[in-house]
Amino acid sequence: MKYEEAIKKLEEIVSMMEEGELDLDQLQDKLKEAQKLIKLCRDKLTKTDEEINKLLDDNQDSSKA
Amino acid sequence: MTTKTHQKHKHSTRMDSFSLFSQPQVSDDSSNDILTLFELNNMVRQTIHDTMDDCYWVQAEISEAREVRGHCYIELIQKDEDTATPIAKASAKCWSSKWQRIKRIFFNATGELPHSGMKVLLSVAPDFHEAYGFSWIVSDIDPSYTLGDMARKRMAIINELKAQGVFDMQKQLSLPMFAMRIAVVSSANAAGYGDFCNQLADNTYGFQFHTELFTAIMQGEQVEDSVVKALDNINSRIDDFDVVVIIRGGGATADLSGFDTLRLAENVANFPLPIITGIGHERDESVLDLVAYQHVKTPTAAAAFLIDHLTTVANFLEEASVRISTTIKHRLQTERMRTERLAERIPLLFSNVKTRNNSLLDKLQMQMNNAISRHIMKQQHFLDLIEQRLKPLDPKIQLKRGYTITTHNGHTIKSIKDIKAGDKLVTITADGNINSIAKK
Repeated sequence: MKYEEAIKKLEEIVSMMEEGELDLDQLQDKLKEAQKLIKLCRDKLTKTDEEINKLLDDNQDSSKA
Repeated sequence: MTTKTHQKHKHSTRMDSFSLFSQPQVSDDSSNDILTLFELNNMVRQTIHDTMDDCYWVQAEISEAREVRGHCYIELIQKDEDTATPIAKASAKCWSSKWQRIKRIFFNATGELPHSGMKVLLSVAPDFHEAYGFSWIVSDIDPSYTLGDMARKRMAIINELKAQGVFDMQKQLSLPMFAMRIAVVSSANAAGYGDFCNQLADNTYGFQFHTELFTAIMQGEQVEDSVVKALDNINSRIDDFDVVVIIRGGGATADLSGFDTLRLAENVANFPLPIITGIGHERDESVLDLVAYQHVKTPTAAAAFLIDHLTTVANFLEEASVRISTTIKHRLQTERMRTERLAERIPLLFSNVKTRNNSLLDKLQMQMNNAISRHIMKQQHFLDLIEQRLKPLDPKIQLKRGYTITTHNGHTIKSIKDIKAGDKLVTITADGNINSIAKK
């Protein structure tokens, strides 16, 4: 799933929760889904950060060489 | 000859009886009157000798000139200016003793030897030989007259070319940068062609020229036809060549007549490829040289010109390649610096993105937690309310207040009709059960 898709989905869930549209069982399911999405987004951010730094480091090394 | 002329002559008494229109007279003294051809010719010779014992400067056109055993034999002609019909003709001779000197001086001055069509100013004395007839004996030729005439002719050709608008056409062409495919117009066995090829092949840069010979006669009256034909042949394969070279060796001893003709000049001027001439003029330029793209003195110089041209191109390419290389290096350096500057900004930029997104996620998480808490609390509250409402209805509380529940076989008795006499009853109180039997 793409980062933007995940965020969109997450916002929808929060909105549904705030509107009080969910019963308790649905709430539990949605909560689980929301936690998964949040983890996915945070992982994606961390991973991208790492990759960017790695790429820049490689580039600097090659340009120095 | 007129009778008047004859009368002046010492033999006039004999000639009196002679008239162009008289009939031969045969008489007793005919042996005295009739002349042998030799006698008659001798009379002519004497007459000429006596009456024209001077030298004369005469202007005439040469219709033929040839050298035999060191002597020069010339046919002179005068044409009517309008109709070009011959109105006078004569033979002339220049004996070897004079001719060798005259020839040298004449050629040094004009660059040409007497040839057909040339106008000359000759110093002549009449000569009549009984056996060989009349001819003019040439004692001198004034080259300046011929030079003037040549210049006039040349100017006429130049003016004609200018009038046609073709005089400068070759000069407007440009030599291709890689002028390496060369069509050569020359005579095959002339030293000039060999010199040209050797010079081209021995260039110090190792350029590989391709030459193809289109043979032509480079001396005498056939020059025009022959060179024009060679040019036609080249023209039919125009895409195979970059440049044309018209050369011939021989230099100072060569006769340059035949190159100053209108037709040849027109062909060269109109030719679509640049033409380089190296036809060995020592003094001034022929019309061909003037209309050609470039003229040089010798075949060797023509080769040197082509080598120089290619050297210039090679140097230009060398410089260009250095410039390209420098420019690219510079550009790459600039781009690298630019990229590095941008790269330095990326982590910061991304860290902003990351922070923003993380706070969005935090916010969503918080919103979600709040929403869930609210929801749970609401449910909790609802349950509490229900519990409150249920509490007063609890049977245990009723039992404590003194109410009892009577059951029969586990069923609560709600009516007297539910039991009959003798049934075993269990009465439930707050703190124990009472067993009893119904009496009635």
